Amino acid sequence: MEKDNILEVKNVHKRFTSKGITVRAVSDVSFTVKKGETIGIVGESGCGKTTLGRCIVRAYDASEGEVFYRTEAGEELDFLKADRKKMKEIRKEIQMIFQDPYSSLDPRMTVLDIIKEPLKANYPKMSKAEMDNKAKEMAARVGLNPSYLMRYPHAFSGGQRQRIGIARALVLNPSIIVCDEAVSALDVSIQAQVINLLKDLQKEFKLTYLFISHDLSVVEHISDKVGVMYLGKMVEYGSTEQIFAHPRHPYTEALMSAVPVADPKYRQERIPLKGEIPNPANPPSGCYFHTRCQYCTEKCSENTPEYIEVEPGHFVACSRCDELNLRGFDYSQLQ
Amino acid sequence: MEKENIIEVKDLHVDIKMLEGLLTPVRGVNFEIKKGETLGLVGESGCGKSITCKAILGINDKKCVPHGKIDFRTVDDKEIDLLSLDPKGKEIRDIRGKQISMIFQEPMVAFSPMYTIGNQINEATLLHITKDKKKAKEISMEVMRKVGIANVEKRYNQYPHEFSGGMLQRALIAMALVCNPKLLIADEPTTALDVTIQAQILELMKELQKEFNMAILFITHDLGVVAKMCDRVAVMYLGRIVESGDAETIYANPQHPYTRGLMGSVHKIGGKKDERLFSIEGTVPLAMNLPKACGFYDRCDARIEGLCDKAEPDLVEIEPGHQIACFNCPNAACQAQRAAAEARIKEEEARAAAEETEDKKGGKKRGKR
Repeated sequence: MEKDNILEVKNVHKRFTSKGITVRAVSDVSFTVKKGETIGIVGESGCGKTTLGRCIVRAYDASEGEVFYRTEAGEELDFLKADRKKMKEIRKEIQMIFQDPYSSLDPRMTVLDIIKEPLKANYPKMSKAEMDNKAKEMAARVGLNPSYLMRYPHAFSGGQRQRIGIARALVLNPSIIVCDEAVSALDVSIQAQVINLLKDLQKEFKLTYLFISHDLSVVEHISDKVGVMYLGKMVEYGSTEQIFAHPRHPYTEALMSAVPVADPKYRQERIPLKGEIPNPANPPSGCYFHTRCQYCTEKCSENTPEYIEVEPGHFVACSRCDELNLRGFDYSQLQ
Repeated sequence: MEKENIIEVKDLHVDIKMLEGLLTPVRGVNFEIKKGETLGLVGESGCGKSITCKAILGINDKKCVPHGKIDFRTVDDKEIDLLSLDPKGKEIRDIRGKQISMIFQEPMVAFSPMYTIGNQINEATLLHITKDKKKAKEISMEVMRKVGIANVEKRYNQYPHEFSGGMLQRALIAMALVCNPKLLIADEPTTALDVTIQAQILELMKELQKEFNMAILFITHDLGVVAKMCDRVAVMYLGRIVESGDAETIYANPQHPYTRGLMGSVHKIGGKKDERLFSIEGTVPLAMNLPKACGFYDRCDARIEGLCDKAEPDLVEIEPGHQIACFNCPNAACQAQRAAAEARIKEEEARAAAEETEDKKGGKKRGKR
């Protein structure tokens, strides 16, 4: 494991089997994360981005692969193979913020109890007063009024609820937070408040974010690096600038061309994607994307492309990436 | 009603009586749509955009009481006030689905899971176009083909759960377009879809709009989609339109503080990365027992104390085709409105003060007696 990496995901697979049918939700995903970075994971619904996030926090047990993690104490270990005791210890450092602020909070607990719950579970010996103090401190930090903490979640608006979820994730003082569509359910003006809060907290607590989202403009704003997923595979991974301005994978190009830009003068030519996402239980042969790719050749349907580093820090899984000249966002038009 | 307009909404209010008081989700909305034009109605959740468009079709809940005027130009060039029609009567049923139709937000919810897709599209065909079942099926299939559903013979007999989200949205559009409506109301038609599917559906809607020359009322909170789709934009806040104008004008030169905030809070691709997003503090208030003040007063960064909390600005034109409802704008029309409001407030205060002193005097006199 390299020195400044906090997380190294290596060849992670996740398969779900039901009634004899196996779905490869995540297949062979690898990437590395440096401390303090924000990694955006994008892709269409059903591409496996949430499953990947859940494998990393071990809410699902991955079928194969390794997730190396450097603990705060400096120890390196494979989180996926850690025993129960060790796992519990590491989980304090890897927390999650969920998508839907309405269903992820227990309606029968007060907000204070919700924020306190992780402390109760992880520090059973901590005194009640100390727990209350920590919870209140964190609530104030994320912008919740301390006098409202005895209320129940239903009394709060969507943005406030998401703040509760953020406080709950932060109260254990984690170093990595997996944000699974953390702002997708919110209105734009509230979205901006929560994004600003997440960025402030990142600076203050030196957090590393894994930001899973389908909203590409939010991802462009918040991320240092972006991974693009298609049908369970990571097809491209690189810095935000590399992915948005100079994509090397045809799927990334098509995805970028479909993003609506909030400027009526911006002219973009959409690259059409043929057909629909194939059934993940029965993925196409060769390159998974070849059925919808406009640059597809015969070879693409036979050979599985390798996931290679085309320039420093920029990984692509496309056998034709060297010969293609793909278009990203036209930044000159946007300034 | 002007000749090229297909619909004119005038001073529309919707009231809902509740135990806690009177809820006013729509408070005096005015807009018009020309033939073949797309108007984007933008706002956050709870600002009354969905209730407004449901009021046009008369499909709001029984508790919602609309008043005002909605003039609609029918196919045979007659002008009808839609609000004067009985919501269950024959006339509105003749318009609903035939001349004005609607695409709903969530295609998964809008279809009944119990009937085949073909059956549900055919419902409109049989009701409005022909009674001949064979012919109706042909017409419905033709529309399904037009919206890009492949293998129509098979798809016609499938149930909604056998369709993907994007295909289901296409089917919903087919259902709305089967009678060639003059006005299409699209209530967040692509919010539940992925970007690639969203782009396909938006392009499809644009093509079909050209082909049928219909007007579209496009409701959304996604400013990127509005930029792509709409000729004109109306921004709604707390049941009122606060700014309206050409899409390009509004994006290039937003004048109302709320519109500016909304534009600032969306990260534009290509913008500076380390910059904080502009955020509007607080949340939308509940539209109940509202004081006589600008609805945006609490959250506004350009509010004028003593004016904005005492009077509500109306929409005024600041340049041709661009209207805003705000006192704090250097434009002459806004300043005139501001001066009038200030004078009115002063007058009212003076009158209140005079009444108070009179009361005191009266009290003293009574005391003497």
